[in-house]
Amino acid sequence: MRWNDLFRMSISSLSRRKLRTFLTVLGVVIGTSSIVVMVSLGLGMQRSMYSEVEKNGGASGITVTGKGQEEMPGDGAKKESRTKYITDEVVKQLAQLEHVKSAEPVLSLPAVVLKGSYEGMIEIQGMTPAGLASMNLKMEKGGKLPDPDSRELQLVFGNYVLAGFTEKGTGRGYWETGVMPDIDLGKDPLFLVLDQDGYARSGQPADMGTEKQGGDGAGNAGISSAPAQAPKKYAVPVSGVVAGGEKNQNANSENVFCDLGVLKEYLRREFRGRAIPGQPTTKSGRPYGKFVYSSAKIQADDMKNVERISDEIRGMGYNVTTNKEYIDSMKKQFEMVQAVLGGIGAVSLLVAAIGIANTMMMSVYERTKEIGVMKVIGCSLSSIRRMFLIEAAFIGLAGGITGNILSLLISGIINIFVSGGGMELGGSISFIPVWLLFLSTGFAVLTGTAAGYFPARRAMGLSPLEAIRNG
Amino acid sequence: MKNIICVNNLYKLYRVGDTAVRALDGVSFTVREGEFCAIVGTSGSGKSTLLNMLAGLERPTKGEVIINGHHIEKMNESELVSFRGNNVGFIFQSFHLLPALNALENVALPLSFRGEERGLRKKKAEKMLRMVSLEKQKNHMPNQMSGGQQQRVSIARALVSDPRIIFADEPTGNLDSRTSEDVMRLMQKIVSEQGRTLVMVTHDMNEAEYADRIIRVIDGKIVENKEKRRKQEI
Repeated sequence: MRWNDLFRMSISSLSRRKLRTFLTVLGVVIGTSSIVVMVSLGLGMQRSMYSEVEKNGGASGITVTGKGQEEMPGDGAKKESRTKYITDEVVKQLAQLEHVKSAEPVLSLPAVVLKGSYEGMIEIQGMTPAGLASMNLKMEKGGKLPDPDSRELQLVFGNYVLAGFTEKGTGRGYWETGVMPDIDLGKDPLFLVLDQDGYARSGQPADMGTEKQGGDGAGNAGISSAPAQAPKKYAVPVSGVVAGGEKNQNANSENVFCDLGVLKEYLRREFRGRAIPGQPTTKSGRPYGKFVYSSAKIQADDMKNVERISDEIRGMGYNVTTNKEYIDSMKKQFEMVQAVLGGIGAVSLLVAAIGIANTMMMSVYERTKEIGVMKVIGCSLSSIRRMFLIEAAFIGLAGGITGNILSLLISGIINIFVSGGGMELGGSISFIPVWLLFLSTGFAVLTGTAAGYFPARRAMGLSPLEAIRNG
Repeated sequence: MKNIICVNNLYKLYRVGDTAVRALDGVSFTVREGEFCAIVGTSGSGKSTLLNMLAGLERPTKGEVIINGHHIEKMNESELVSFRGNNVGFIFQSFHLLPALNALENVALPLSFRGEERGLRKKKAEKMLRMVSLEKQKNHMPNQMSGGQQQRVSIARALVSDPRIIFADEPTGNLDSRTSEDVMRLMQKIVSEQGRTLVMVTHDMNEAEYADRIIRVIDGKIVENKEKRRKQEI
């Protein structure tokens, strides 16, 4: 029998019992959409994690930090006598490793920002232009990356940096009041104080509670040598603000970026003759000969090589953190979450499958005579089986497609109404990729066909005699 | 004329409780090609069982059924299906048209089982309906037709695949006497005009009179096998 004839027959027998077909399809609709919606929640979480990771250099990013003696983990096998610093030479060395696409130094240091009645503790991250570009920062309209050739320091503000600002006097900020400080970042330059210790000593109230980065040795040396005077304030413009506004947080929301070269220039000027905070010193309190970066960002040429590179760098004596490790562990977690969610959804599809089997069984009983007649007038057994399997598969297909449409609707509704709570997830909670649509439809068809298998076999095994007996 | 159906020493035993019932008890006969053969008997005589075995719907306990040189009793189910599809047409007592299909589609059904193309199917089915003079009712559903019309559709369906043999199981059992006569004439015409072999089971002696050969069955045995009239050409 031709396939198109089989299809026509199956559909005509389905449409003969419209209500029953509808109810059976409805079961599959509910089953499919519960699976799809459940999985889409898991996928939404996974996707927002991935996009966070992407902002941090993606899966092929590696962060290398220096190793100080005090940070040495207790592995007695390999004691480093000297601390490992990330210097220009090291960065160059790293860049020449195999499979390394780029290596960019990062210098981060704490600073104070003043504006009107507000003050804020920030952590400035100085990066090379290439390094900044590789971050793929999404900025508000008109935002630019800092100009490396500019003589003045330009900052890129995360959209949540202002939330960390507090009002002088009251000491209250966004987290207490719920109102963002009234600062127009695009317009007015801010005042940046690089010498935090100096700023604290100058009598102005600054909450140093969370500050730990300032090198103690250098700070103390500063106190003893220099008289207490207000440190220099630099007027710095903001060249760009990370996109997202007040609602959407992302990995860069709380960061402040600037150009590394300009920052270094500023630091040399500010701390002339003194140790720069955060920079290591020799035992005598003298500045270390070379400029030391807080970390180096390495981009591997491929995710597969991340492990090899990080092993190699670890062998060189540095601390290495990769996104891959993070991703791998998260992946496992998400796979479990998805399996659980999908499993819950699968239960309802199982119930729907039983419904299909039941419907098909009924249909076989009803059409016993018809099937017998068809056998007698020359319908092959495989055609009869196919006819019933197609019917069952069609129920699955109709249910799968309708279920997916329903899931898209539900997913849209979830995203609209719950997106407020999904701030940390970067927007959408429920995410339905195209493959999920196809997969779930295919799964529904498969379930239908499987459920139709035994009824179809029964139909195939019916004796054609049934047709001729009891007229 | 060659023998198209050849039955040798056919037995069928049913088990009813502890006793074995002999539905067929050593039946042997032959049917020649182009013959209209009637198997007559009262209900329970074993005549329907005999027909079922000729068509391969039931397996004999013992004996041979050879149709057109093929041993029916040795075929498996799917061989039987394709054999029936190519060689045999069926006419049932209660017509057995598919209720979801109209007259034309019902007639074309055996062709679609054979995988024939839709346009060709339709053409052949229309020709058959014209032969049974139902071309006006071709779009009627079975429940919109009278019993006689339905049986004529059923005859058209049996003939559409151009079989050499047609089996009819009490074809007039559900019809009144006037339509019965029409149906019998039609079948007789088909046999004489198209040279097909027709094996009909009936309990009505009057209808058996239309046949060329009458085989009378009582209690699973053939008690009479007579050729009613000679074919003109011999």
